[in-house]
Amino acid sequence: MDQILVSMAATMAFAVLFHVPRSEYLLCAVNGAIGWMVYLFCVSHDTGITIASMWATLVLTLVARLLSAIRKMPGTVFLVTGIFTLVPGAGIYYTSYYLIMNDLEQCMAKGIETFKIAGAIVLGMIFGLILPQSWFNQIGKIWKNYDTHG
Amino acid sequence: MVESKTILNLAISVGEILLKSGGEIYRVQETVSRILEAYGIEDYHVFVITNGIFATVYEQRKDAGSMVRYVPIGEVNLERVAQMNQLSREICEKNCTITEAYEKLEQYRNASGTNNRSLILACAAGSAGFCYLLGGRPYDSMVCFFLGILLEVFLLLAARHHASRFIMNIMGSALVTTGSLILYVAGAGILSDKIIIGGIIPLVPGVALTTGIRDLFSGDYLSGSIRMIDALLTGMCIAIGVGGAIKVFHLLWGGTLAL
Repeated sequence: MDQILVSMAATMAFAVLFHVPRSEYLLCAVNGAIGWMVYLFCVSHDTGITIASMWATLVLTLVARLLSAIRKMPGTVFLVTGIFTLVPGAGIYYTSYYLIMNDLEQCMAKGIETFKIAGAIVLGMIFGLILPQSWFNQIGKIWKNYDTHG
Repeated sequence: MVESKTILNLAISVGEILLKSGGEIYRVQETVSRILEAYGIEDYHVFVITNGIFATVYEQRKDAGSMVRYVPIGEVNLERVAQMNQLSREICEKNCTITEAYEKLEQYRNASGTNNRSLILACAAGSAGFCYLLGGRPYDSMVCFFLGILLEVFLLLAARHHASRFIMNIMGSALVTTGSLILYVAGAGILSDKIIIGGIIPLVPGVALTTGIRDLFSGDYLSGSIRMIDALLTGMCIAIGVGGAIKVFHLLWGGTLAL
C-alpha cells in the first residue's frame, strides 16, 4: 500500500536529517512504517486517535528496543526517527489556526487533543520501556545464533 | 601509570559529545563511569544533567581531580551517539590504549557529517511525505517538497549565524506558512493547511519529547523536565510562527481567508 511506502520514505528522510548511520536507514524506515500502520489500523477500528497513538508508540518502542539489541545500536536511533509519524503536528497547527480565527472553542478542543496525543505517546513509550532490557538482549542473542548457524 | 586527569578528560569528552548529540542522561552517565573504570579508576563520582557534566576522581587523595563541562543543547546527531557508544564499548573490552582512544575521539569529532545538500533534500522529502500521509494529494506534496527545501536552507543559514532556537522555530514555521499562503492566494489551488502541517513536521520536537520521556523514566527528573519544557516551548514557538503568519495574511487580505 502506498501508506507503507510513503511512511518508510518519510521516516528514512528524517533518519538522514538526524545523521543516522547509513547502515540503519532501512530498519529505521521499517520501524517508522510499522508505527504508522499500527496507528492507521487502530484508527480504522474506531479506537480514536489518542488510544491509537498510544498503541502505535508502544509497538514502536518495543520494536526499537528489539532492533537496538539485534544491531547493537542505541535504541534512540530507531525510536527518535520512528516517532515522527505520530507526533501531533496537525494538532499544533489547528490549535494555532483556531486561536487566530478567534474560534476559542475549537482552539481549546484542538489544544487539549494535542496534549492528549502527547500524553498518549508518553504512556505508550513508558509501557514499552517497562520490559527489562535483558529480555531484548536475550532475543538479540537468539537472533544472532540463528543468523550465524541457520 | 596514566595520569588520572588524562583519563578523566577522555571520559568527560566522550560524555560531552554523547550528550550534545542527543544521548539520554543514563547513557551518558554509564558511558563516563565505564570509561573511568576501564582505565582503573574506582573512586569516582559522576553527575550529568541535560546541559552539564560534573565528575570527580580520587576525592580523598592528593591527586584528586575534577572536571566540569557546560554542554549547550546541540543538534541531534545520532551517528555520533552510535560512534561514542561504540568507542566506549571498545574501551571497556580493553581494546584501546589511552592514546588510541584519544585519536579515535579526534577522528570522530572532526569527521564531516552529512553534506548540506542531502540534509536539504531529506527535509524536503520528509515534509512532502508527511503532507501525503496526513491527507494531502500528490500535488500538495510536491508543493510541500519545495517549501521543505526553503525551510532547511533557512535553518542552515540561521544556524550558521548562531540564531537562537526560538527565533529559528518561529521564523521557520512562519516561513513555511507564508509560502503556503502566498501560493494559495495566488490561486495554486492547494490544500494549504495540509501543506503547512507537513512543512512544520521537521520543526516539531520529536527528539526532545522522546529523550525527555526516557530521562523521566530513568528517574532523572531534572533533565527530563528540561527536555520536556524544551519540547513544550518549541511547540509554542511553532504555534506562534504559524499563527502570526496567518494573522498577518488576514490583515493584508482583509480578514476573509477561508483555508
